[in-house]
Amino acid sequence: MNEIFNEMYADGDTVRTHYSPYSDWLAATAPDRIREKLVEADALFRRAGITFAVYGDETGTERLIPFDIVPRIIPAAEWEFLQRGLRQRVTALNAFLHDVYHDQEILRAGRIPAEQVLCNVQYRPEMQGIDVPMDVYAHIAGIDLVRAGAGEYYVLEDNLRVPSGVSYMLEDRKAMMRLFPELFARYNVAPVEHYPDLLLETLRSVAPAGVRDPTVVLLTPGAHNSAYFEHAFLAQQMGIELVEGQDLFVDDEIVYMRTTQGPRRVDVIYRRIDDDFIDPLAFRPDSMLGVPGLLTAYRAGRVTISNAVGTGIADDKSTYPYVPEMIRFYLGEEPVLANVPTWILRRPEDLAYVLGHLDELVVKEVHGAGGYGMLIGPRASRAEIEEFRTRIVADPARYIAQPTLALSSCPTFVDSGLAPRHVDLRPFVLSGRDVVMVPGGLTRVALREGSLVVNSSQGGGTKDTWILAC
Amino acid sequence: MLLHIRHETLYRYDRPAKHSVQSLRLTPRTETGQRVLAWNLTAPGRQSQQIDAHGNLMHLLTLDEPHEEIHITVAGAVETEEVTDSAPADRGRLSPLVYVPDTELTHADEALLEFAARHGVKQPGRNEVMRLAHAIRDSMDYVSGATEVSDTAARAFSLGRGVCQDHAHVMIACCRALGVPARYVSGYLLTGRDDHIASHAWVDVWLAEPERWFAIDVTNGVPGSVQHCRLAVGRDYLDACPVRGVRRGGGAETMSAKVEVSGDGLQRRPATPRPRLLQQHAAQQ
Repeated sequence: MNEIFNEMYADGDTVRTHYSPYSDWLAATAPDRIREKLVEADALFRRAGITFAVYGDETGTERLIPFDIVPRIIPAAEWEFLQRGLRQRVTALNAFLHDVYHDQEILRAGRIPAEQVLCNVQYRPEMQGIDVPMDVYAHIAGIDLVRAGAGEYYVLEDNLRVPSGVSYMLEDRKAMMRLFPELFARYNVAPVEHYPDLLLETLRSVAPAGVRDPTVVLLTPGAHNSAYFEHAFLAQQMGIELVEGQDLFVDDEIVYMRTTQGPRRVDVIYRRIDDDFIDPLAFRPDSMLGVPGLLTAYRAGRVTISNAVGTGIADDKSTYPYVPEMIRFYLGEEPVLANVPTWILRRPEDLAYVLGHLDELVVKEVHGAGGYGMLIGPRASRAEIEEFRTRIVADPARYIAQPTLALSSCPTFVDSGLAPRHVDLRPFVLSGRDVVMVPGGLTRVALREGSLVVNSSQGGGTKDTWILAC
Repeated sequence: MLLHIRHETLYRYDRPAKHSVQSLRLTPRTETGQRVLAWNLTAPGRQSQQIDAHGNLMHLLTLDEPHEEIHITVAGAVETEEVTDSAPADRGRLSPLVYVPDTELTHADEALLEFAARHGVKQPGRNEVMRLAHAIRDSMDYVSGATEVSDTAARAFSLGRGVCQDHAHVMIACCRALGVPARYVSGYLLTGRDDHIASHAWVDVWLAEPERWFAIDVTNGVPGSVQHCRLAVGRDYLDACPVRGVRRGGGAETMSAKVEVSGDGLQRRPATPRPRLLQQHAAQQ
């Protein structure tokens, strides 16, 4: 594998300019004080009740997401570049969603194979011909970025359904400011605390036409969901009602919330429930999490669902390779942010190459998420590779493959002290009347030595992300 | 052919239900081959109507006062005519490709994949589609009550018997396994035999040549005809079924339905179909 890009050090031990005030502080701080701070950080997060239930964990226990006290620092100019790329990418993704649910020009132009979109279960026929406010579908997009090679950024994946993690971004900052106020005197860190205000503004801006003072609610699947903490946190921060499906009902194409003062009309639903579960009359009939008739009200334009129904067609892993083409097609621009080169195993020539190089590549299931259902060739045993080969051959269209990227690393406190661990970055891009984002995002860190999987469900932790103000 | 149709559905609950929402697909489609002359829907509660994703007219029914029954009646007259190749093809809003991916109900397991490979062709014409339908009909006896409404194509096929819904799902599963678009059709059938249900289900298969939907009634081994009245189409039963509902409270439910279809003013004896519907019972709050 190539040399790994370290966020803090260049050439092994030269501290990068933007990290030098931190490095100086670290050198001047007694190891005992750092250890105290680690204990204090742990207590802070426990008190805040930030936990995460791990899927597939039989015991069903909730676990604290580990927080690391070494910040991920990004210079202003670098963020400017990222912001430009993110805005461009999310704009194109929304244009794509509008197009595939209307005239399908990109398909007719042959830039994306029609069956790639229309034969994909993530394409929702229910959305065909339906207009949504401002033509925006993905109001909240979590774009996963990684750095590889000499530090160049790549988009690893787009999350346009119900991206989560923003509460960790906010809590991590709060914790850092409490634990290390002196560091914020040394650095001019761009603020992120106004994220809930921007989110509420975005949600209000996409209310159905003609609604003056929209009522926005956050729809959660309930306390058993792994991200329930975040749902409650965001609702509280935005000052909106946190509701479950049973709190809402539809009458004559209008959505109401049951309140002690009687029914109250709802205009915008920030839902944290997947499409399949939002309306048992339209999608999974066995779902008790949603609101019967909601899709009817939505299709009539009487309520906004955020993110829109059907965004999965744009963030599907089999659609991902076509995003640069979307940017060229809709915006007439070259992509600012690079895609990771991807083999599409539906194509026979790609399949042949990948089957011959399984030990070098990462293979992902196109409908998988959260780091489940993937093969990391260089880390897999021979038996695991052979098992995956059988699965791929049985249904190649279900998989894509990418080179194993040498993800950048950032110094992280582990049991043995400070050590490099791989990181990624998920900025949250908000699209309504405008496309906006707070400077930064969620930095996830793979805590296991050498691990490339940063998902919290797979032993990942988080770091505060500092975008330096100019 | 002029079809007179009357269809009554009655749900009764043990205890009063607090809140019910039902989506009804009980209005014949307006499309090539059939014309709605008169149609009337009578139901309790408040109703709104909308054209759904598949071009069906759907009524959404909301009852939020306690109720012990829901009585729905539709009645009217529909004129059907032979669909010829020169007639304009109904393409609708959706690409036929939308009807290629399988669904839970139409997923082809090993046995269905093998069956489809043996009896199907990738670019079928009418004859090939008819042959596939006959092969399915030969492998699955029509046995009323043999399956549950929620049974999948794979399950019904493994039993070797089923009702029209199962025949339709198996046909759809086979077509899709071959990459051929196929969709579920729910409707009424005018039949001379008294013991045959009048609420019925069949299949549309997308033909490459000529490019159009071709209706095929697998259960009866015949193409769609002037005796078929089309209510709704969809990816499977769930998209197209006449009634889908959710309620709170109400306890156990009984459902009865009565369908009368008569042609050209000739009254025929009504047939009573076995109750089959999807109704779920929300946790009582």
